[in-house]
Amino acid sequence: MRVSMKWLQELTDVSVTVPELVDRLDMTGTAVEAVHTLGEGLEGVVVGQVVSKEAHPEADKLWVTKVDVGDGEPLQIVCGAQNFEAGDKVPVALVGTTLPGGLTIKKAKLRGVESFGMNCSAAELGAGSDHQGLQILPQDAPVGMAYAEYAGSSDTVLELEITPNRPDCLSMSGVAREVAAVLGTTYELPGGAPAEAGEPADALAMVEIEDATLCPRYTARLIRGVRIGPSPDWLAERVTAAGARSINNVVDITNFVMFEMGQPLHAFDASTLATTDGRAHIIVRTAREGEKLTTLDGMERPLASDTLLICDPDGPVALAGVMGGEHTEVSEKTVDILLESAAFHPASVSRTSRSLSLISEASTRFERGVDPNGCVAAADRAAQLMADLCDGTVAPGVIDVYPTPVEPVRLTLRLATIAKVLGVEIAPDEAAGILERLGMTVENAAAVLEVSVPTYRPDITREIDLVEEVLRVWGMERVASTLPGGRQRIGGLDSSQRWRERIGAAMRACGLNETMTYAFGDAADIERLGMEFAPGEALVELLDPMSTEQSVLRRTLLPGLLRSVSYNQRRGVRDIHLYEMGTAFVTGEGRKMPKERKMLCGVLAGRWYPAAWHDAEGAGRHGANGSSDALRGPEINFFDGKGVIEALVVEVGASRFKVRDADIAWLQPGRRAEVLLGGDVVGWLGEVHPRVLGAFDADPSVVAFELAVDALVRAATPVRPYVDVPRYPAVEFDVALVVEEAVTVERVLDAVRSAGGKLLDDVRLFDVYRGTGVAEGRKSLAFALTYRAPDRTLTDEEVRPQHERLLRKVASAVGAELRGAE
Amino acid sequence: MGIIEQLHQMKGQALERISAAQDLSGLDATRVEFLGKKGSLTSILRGLGSLPADERPMVGKVSNEVRVELESAIDTRREELRTMELEAKVASDAVDVTLPGRVRMPGREHLIERITREVVEIFVGLGYRVAEGPEVELAYYNFTALNTPEAHPARSASDTFYVRDLSSAEVSATGESDVLLRTHTSPAQVRVMEAQKPPIYIVVPGKVYRPDAPDPSHLPQFTQVEGLVVDEGITFADLKGTLEHFCHEMFGYDRKTRIRPHFFPFTEPSAEVDVSCGICAGAGCRFCGNTGWLEILGCGMVDPNVFGYAGVDTERYTGFAFGMGVERIAALKYGLPDLRMLVEGDMRFLRQF
Repeated sequence: MRVSMKWLQELTDVSVTVPELVDRLDMTGTAVEAVHTLGEGLEGVVVGQVVSKEAHPEADKLWVTKVDVGDGEPLQIVCGAQNFEAGDKVPVALVGTTLPGGLTIKKAKLRGVESFGMNCSAAELGAGSDHQGLQILPQDAPVGMAYAEYAGSSDTVLELEITPNRPDCLSMSGVAREVAAVLGTTYELPGGAPAEAGEPADALAMVEIEDATLCPRYTARLIRGVRIGPSPDWLAERVTAAGARSINNVVDITNFVMFEMGQPLHAFDASTLATTDGRAHIIVRTAREGEKLTTLDGMERPLASDTLLICDPDGPVALAGVMGGEHTEVSEKTVDILLESAAFHPASVSRTSRSLSLISEASTRFERGVDPNGCVAAADRAAQLMADLCDGTVAPGVIDVYPTPVEPVRLTLRLATIAKVLGVEIAPDEAAGILERLGMTVENAAAVLEVSVPTYRPDITREIDLVEEVLRVWGMERVASTLPGGRQRIGGLDSSQRWRERIGAAMRACGLNETMTYAFGDAADIERLGMEFAPGEALVELLDPMSTEQSVLRRTLLPGLLRSVSYNQRRGVRDIHLYEMGTAFVTGEGRKMPKERKMLCGVLAGRWYPAAWHDAEGAGRHGANGSSDALRGPEINFFDGKGVIEALVVEVGASRFKVRDADIAWLQPGRRAEVLLGGDVVGWLGEVHPRVLGAFDADPSVVAFELAVDALVRAATPVRPYVDVPRYPAVEFDVALVVEEAVTVERVLDAVRSAGGKLLDDVRLFDVYRGTGVAEGRKSLAFALTYRAPDRTLTDEEVRPQHERLLRKVASAVGAELRGAE
Repeated sequence: MGIIEQLHQMKGQALERISAAQDLSGLDATRVEFLGKKGSLTSILRGLGSLPADERPMVGKVSNEVRVELESAIDTRREELRTMELEAKVASDAVDVTLPGRVRMPGREHLIERITREVVEIFVGLGYRVAEGPEVELAYYNFTALNTPEAHPARSASDTFYVRDLSSAEVSATGESDVLLRTHTSPAQVRVMEAQKPPIYIVVPGKVYRPDAPDPSHLPQFTQVEGLVVDEGITFADLKGTLEHFCHEMFGYDRKTRIRPHFFPFTEPSAEVDVSCGICAGAGCRFCGNTGWLEILGCGMVDPNVFGYAGVDTERYTGFAFGMGVERIAALKYGLPDLRMLVEGDMRFLRQF
C-alpha cells in the first residue's frame, strides 16, 4: 500500500517527522517497507511534447520520435513505448540525468538510430508501478517546465506492508485512522451524499443477486450526462502517487475512491448493458458451461464454472471483483454511467484472480475482505466527484441489494485477560482510549469493557483480538521482559537424539564431512540404481513437481550424494568424504502417509588427504614413478568404508557386527556387503558399480554405505560394563596360515577363536600374502595370537602345547597349512 | 723407577687421556686400558710382590688413591660426554617447526546442522525438550489445526507441495490430496499438544518444503526451528524475555533486539523479532536495507483456536510459539551469498565451517 504523505496530511494531522512516523508504524504492526521521495533525482526531467512519431527502420517495436523540450530544435529520441501519439505531452529525461531507479541517461545509438534522451513511464520516475507505457501528461502541461515542478511532486510516499488481517488499511482513510490512533491525534474522513436530480435510479436499472454468499451486497448508482476527459491535476497526482496511471476523469475517480476508502468501484457504460423492461439489468451469478468473456485487456477468457460474474441478460459483462469486460468499458463516447459498489466473497475473488493470473488493486482488496457497510458511502463519494468533475447528473437513489446486513460484533474485554496474556497491567481507561481511537465504541470502562467493533475490522471477533489491539498500540516495547517460571519443566535431548549426535560425531571423527542434499529425487534414480521394491511399495510422488528431477521423494540418500560426488569431481575436487543423516521415504498401496526412515549415508572417493611433506618419510623422497600421486596415501577402497563403520560400531557399543556378501544391484560384485548388527541387516556397504557411477556422471571408484539410524540406535549399548585391564604380560606367537582363496578371513578367525581355549586373548590379522612360496590359488594369512592369563605370568613352555593344538585344529577346520610358523 | 713413581706417572697419563676422550666408547677404552683386569694399574701392582713388606701398605694406599681419583675423573668425563652427546643429538634433531602438522583432519558439521544445534542448545539450556514430527504431513496439522482458513492462498498448489494419497485406489486416481510436505515445523506443535498434557516446553528443528525455484535467497527445501511453550501463567512478557535471551546468545550481547506486532494465523497477539544490524550497528546500511534492523523470527501467543483444535484448556493454560529460518540465520551470521551452496555438497564449501 502506497501512502502519499501529502494526501495523508489532508486526512489527519501527522505531527511527527517522517522517520518518527515510520518508527511508530513499524512498532505498531504496520511495517514500512520503503520510503520514496518523489521529485528527488528528477532534476533533469522536463515536460516534452512529441512532435513526430515514426517507425524505426530496423526494429518492429521501436519508434523514432522528435520531442520538443522547449529548447529550440526538438530532440530525436528512440522510444519503445506503444501508448502514445504525436502531440502527446510526456516527461523527458535529458542526457546526463540519473533517474530514481539508478539509470543514467546517455546519448546512445539504438539499432543504428541516435537517441538524445528518454521518454519516461511513471515507474521510471519513481511515481508508481506503471511501467507499461509512457506517462501521458495533460495537454495543458507547459513544455520545457521541470517535471518535478510541474507535477508538484515533492511528496514522500511510504510503502506499507499491510498484513492479511487488516483490509481496512488498504485505504487512505484506514491508514489515516491507524496513524491517528498510534499518534494519539484525530482524523477526518470525506463523505456526504451527492446532489441528485432527474429520473430515479431504480427506474433506469435493476440488480439481481443469485447467490448472496458470493455477493453479500451490490449497490449501483447512475450518473448521467458525464463528459469523459482528462482528470484535473490534483486527481491525476493522487492516483499516480497511489501507484495507478491516470486514464480519464471517470476511471480516475473510481480508482481515487478505491484508494481513499478501500472500496473498489467499477464504472459501466450504461448504454452497453442489455435491458429488461427498459432498465439496464445487472445479474450477479456464477459462470455457465462454455461461457466466455473478453476482458478490457482484450483477452478472451474461458470461464470456469465457479467464476463469479457480473452479467446482463445477454451474458457476462465483468469478472466480479477482478476485471471489467471490454464491451461495457467506459470510452470517450460514454454518456451514462452505471457505477458498481459491491462486496464479493474473498475466496471466490481470490480463486478467479489467481487462476487467471489477474491480480489487481481491486482483486487484492476483495480478497482481503471489503466491508459491505462501506459500499454506499463509496458510491456516494464517487457520484459526487463525477457530478463535480465530469458534469454528470446523479440519478436519485441507490440501487441496493443487501439481503443480510452485517452487524457490528459486540465483545467483552476483561482487564484480567490482558494481565493474564500479556503479563502487564493496563488501566481500563487507557485500554478503552486505544480501542476508541481505532474506531470502536466502548461502554463501561471498568474491569470489563463492553466493545462494539465496526464492520471494517472483520479481523476482530474475539476477546483475544482486542487484547492484541490494545497491546500493539500501547506498545510491545513497554512490556517488561520475564522468563517463564515453569516449575515442572525438564530440558534435554532424548536418548535417540543423543545417539544421533554421537553417530554424527563419529562420522566426523573418521574424517567425513556432513552435507545436506534434497529430499526430492528423480523417479528414474531407482532404475539407475537397479533398486527393487517390495510388492505394493511405491515412491512418494509429488502431484505438482517443479521438475522431473525433483518429482518424487527419495527412497535412499545415495543418489543425492552421488550427485555431490559428481559436482565435486566436475570441479576438480577428487578427494571426497561426505555423509548425510536424513529422511528416506517410501509409501505403498493403501497408505495415506509414507513411512519415513532416518538414514545415515556416506560416500568416499579419491584419497583421505592430499599429498603432504611427511608422506616422503619412510617412503623414500619420491614415489616409484616420481609423480606426487605416489607420495599420497592409498586410494580409498571398500575397506575405508568398512573401517568407518567399524569405528561407528565401537562408538555406539553395538555387538555382533558382521558383513556378508549380498546381491546389491548398485554395488560392484565382490566388493559389496550387507551390514549386520546383532543378527539383523541394518544397511549396506560397498564400492558403487561403475554402471551406476556412469548414470550419475561420477568417476570410479566411489565407496558408499547406508545404514538405518533407528537400527543403529537400537543396537547401541548405553552402558558397557567394566572389564579387567590386563595385569600380567602376554605371550605372542605369529603364525602364517596358507588357505584356499575361497576361505574367508572370517572363517579362519572363527576357527581360531573356537579352538583358542581360555588363554587366547586376541587374534589380529597383520598380513595377506600371495606369490612366491605360496601355491597358485592359495593365500597366506599372517596372524598375531596373544595368550594371556588373568592371574599369572605365562611362559612359552606353558603356552606352546596349547598353541600347537590350536594350529592343528585350525588347519583341519579350514584346510590350512603352516608357512614358517612364528 | 719405584712403583709409586710409576703409579704417579701412569695417573698423569691416564688423566690426560680421560680428558682427551671424545666419546663414551673412547672413554670406556681408556678406563679398560688403565683400570681394567689387564690394565696398567694391575700390571704395575704385579711388581708389588718384590717390595719389602713395610713398603707395601704405602704402595697399597697410593694405588688406591690413584684408582679412586681416576674413577672419579672418568665419571666426571662420562657425564660431560653424555651431556655433549645429548646436546649434539638434540641439535641434529631440530626441525622447521613451521612445517604443517601431521593429522587426518576430522570432518566438519554442516553449517545448517551446526546452527540448528546451537539454537537447540540455547533452548535446552532454558529447560526445553526436542520434539520431531513427520516431514510428510496432513493438511489438517499443517493448516487447519493451525487456524489457517480453508481458502487461504498458502494452501494452494503454488505454495505447497502435495503428494499422491494412496489410501484407496479411487482417491489415488483423482490426484486430490490432503497429504503434503510440511511448509513449516508448526504442525509438530499440534501433534505434541495432542499427545502430551502441559507443561510443554519444546523446540522442533526440521526440514520444511515450499515450491520456490532455487535462487540465491530461496530453496524449495529449508530448515526451521519451532518453539512452543504451554503452561499456567505464561505471558507475552515471558515470550519477549525468552526471545531476547535467545537473540543475545545467538548473535551476541552487544546486539539490540526489538519486538514489533505482526500477523500469523496461529498466534494472537503475533509479533516479529528483529536484531540490530551487525554491519552498521543499527545506523542503517545496504545489508539491512537502511533500517538498522534484521528480522530474525516470528512469534506470538498461541491462538485460542489452535488450543481448541489441540484440546488444551484455554482458561487454565496460556502459551507462546515462535519459529525461525535457519538458512536465514546462516545468511545473516556467516555472510552466505547463495543458499544453493548449502545443498551442493562442495567439499571446499563444507570444510569452511
